[in-house]
Amino acid sequence: MSFIQAILDGLLVGGVYAVISIGLTLVYGVMGIVNFAQAEFLMIGMFVSWFAWAYLGLDPVLAAPLSFAVAFALGWLVQGQLISRVLKAPSVAQIFLTVGLLIVLENGALLSFGSQFRSVTTSYQTMSLSLGSLFISVPYLIAFSMSLACGVALWWFMRTSWFGRAMRATAQNPMAAQLMGIDTALMYKMAFALGVGLTAFGGAVILPYVTVFPQVGGQFVVLMFTVVVLGGLGSVAGAVVGGLAVGVIQALSALFFPIQLQNLVLFLVFILVLAVRPQGLVGASR
Amino acid sequence: MSKTSSTRGGIDRRTVLAGSAALIAAPWVVSPARAQAKQVNIGVIMPLSGANAQFGINSRNGIELVADEINAAGGIKALGGAKINLIVADATSTPTTAGTVAQRMISQNEVTAILGAFASSLTIAISEVTERRDIPLLTMSFADQITGRGFKNIFQVVAKASALGKAQLDYTVAIAQAAGTKIDKIAIMYEDTAYGTAQAGGLRAAAKAANIELVMDDAYPLGITDTTPLINKLRASGAQAVFPVSYLNDSLLLIRTMRQQRITIPAIGGAAGYVIPDFEKGLGEFAEGVLSIAPANYDLDTSLTDRFRKRFGYFMVHEALEHAVALDVLVQAIEKAKSAKAEDVTMALRGGKFTGGWTNAMTGGAVQFDSTGLNTASIPVMVQWRKKELVTVWPKEVAKGTAEWNS
Repeated sequence: MSFIQAILDGLLVGGVYAVISIGLTLVYGVMGIVNFAQAEFLMIGMFVSWFAWAYLGLDPVLAAPLSFAVAFALGWLVQGQLISRVLKAPSVAQIFLTVGLLIVLENGALLSFGSQFRSVTTSYQTMSLSLGSLFISVPYLIAFSMSLACGVALWWFMRTSWFGRAMRATAQNPMAAQLMGIDTALMYKMAFALGVGLTAFGGAVILPYVTVFPQVGGQFVVLMFTVVVLGGLGSVAGAVVGGLAVGVIQALSALFFPIQLQNLVLFLVFILVLAVRPQGLVGASR
Repeated sequence: MSKTSSTRGGIDRRTVLAGSAALIAAPWVVSPARAQAKQVNIGVIMPLSGANAQFGINSRNGIELVADEINAAGGIKALGGAKINLIVADATSTPTTAGTVAQRMISQNEVTAILGAFASSLTIAISEVTERRDIPLLTMSFADQITGRGFKNIFQVVAKASALGKAQLDYTVAIAQAAGTKIDKIAIMYEDTAYGTAQAGGLRAAAKAANIELVMDDAYPLGITDTTPLINKLRASGAQAVFPVSYLNDSLLLIRTMRQQRITIPAIGGAAGYVIPDFEKGLGEFAEGVLSIAPANYDLDTSLTDRFRKRFGYFMVHEALEHAVALDVLVQAIEKAKSAKAEDVTMALRGGKFTGGWTNAMTGGAVQFDSTGLNTASIPVMVQWRKKELVTVWPKEVAKGTAEWNS
């Protein structure tokens, strides 16, 4: 029973890992940029949602679209003003820029909001559904469902809309896309804004069970990179598989090993996967 | 130099040399004179950014309160009313930075003593520097290593983590017994840095001594994002009470997940995350009745601690209180030594028993350091959340309310 419980918990947490990581993989897939500041957009999403909860009385989960919108706008600006300058630069310059952005965002949050831990109180925070002897945590379930909905919406957008097709075309061959009349600079802005917006959305939906503070990104950044590399850097489907896999591996390893070694087991699996399938579980669809 | 102004154009090399020499020497001539007359530099190293920033800011607030009060009341009398000049530095939340900052502070600011730095790992890093340079370091960090290494210049104003762990268990057993419950099976979970590990050691030893079975004894990494596996294990363990030793983020996660899984056994927190206003803010009604061990509590002397609440708008959390006591004791030592020289102050700190002032807010009502630098007068207290306030409920001699036990 505890085995099934662990898998269930792992899937619920993993769904969220997937959504916060999709942005990272999307940005890489379209632009070939590894955004080390991605987790700071998670933090921004959490802050937006917290302020909406504290001052507008909005449930953090309902505030998620707002978090998305704020991060989207911010991402649009960052891409247009900063990232666009290093698109063709050596990757070292790209790393410096996004790591610098990470430091600026983190310390900006520290300056603006202070260092205290902020958490929300909601009516469903301590609730769970029972399924026989299994427990399903309500906040986890809500976060998972919202993430799932968000993931499906993105998939639908990428498959069916003109923007989605144009973005995929840009990812495959920017030169050809430009010749076909696609404004690739616009596509890059769109991809980056969408990517960080999704991560911020994920930040908002986990707020009922995670405390927000300026350095909260640090708790997730390694997980996010593990998820996308495990799934295949650049592949959206890979991020989903990777997210669920990371959640389940974490939960199962806690069942057989001390929880202290949770991430050790995760990284052992990670290294193993990289050795056997360097392109990730779901090969890169770039 | 007056020659230059009287004889125009007659600035010879000698004058220029003398002038610049005087200019270069000026800071050295002026600053000791100023320091002697009006101020004593005291270093404050706290984590003001990073994961432990909130605790560092609380601590700084406590120290600033006392410094401002002493300065307003006429400064340090034995030094002719010298004012306390706090030199505050950010240790971030990393030990290497803490050490570097201490080094810089000692070489550049001529500090008499240093206070800091909440987290044991930071304090240990600073103590390596202060020990080498013979500067007294006063701290409220818990870890046993702090006074366990035979250092001469370190002073720990609270009981050690192992003593806190022992009290966390012993007091709980006593409270349960008073309510008619006998405890035989408990669970321990702790974050795996210096603080959690040391306190868990105390818990474990006390449980063994009391013949209590440890049905769960798990360390988890600080910054854990999902505590469900821990709580799943707790549910299966059949423990009658759980002793989590955690910082705020993990403490909220642990209690929330327990409630989700309808686990109602008492959780007895190990200070840190459990005894700050944010704990109650994060849990609301679910904080009510949660017990925790604490090295000290603000209700032991509200005539002192209310001044903190008035100035900062929240109750005087224990790290603020203990750092306030540390500064008060330091100033008493300076008064006694009639000197702001580090070695004289260290001597005064080591010898005497300090009473009055902020020491009234400590258990034992006094501070007295043994040869290792540990304050032997301090014993931990058990506190319980009641209507957004922390009430001291054990030991009975100092309790301000009766402990409630729900098993």
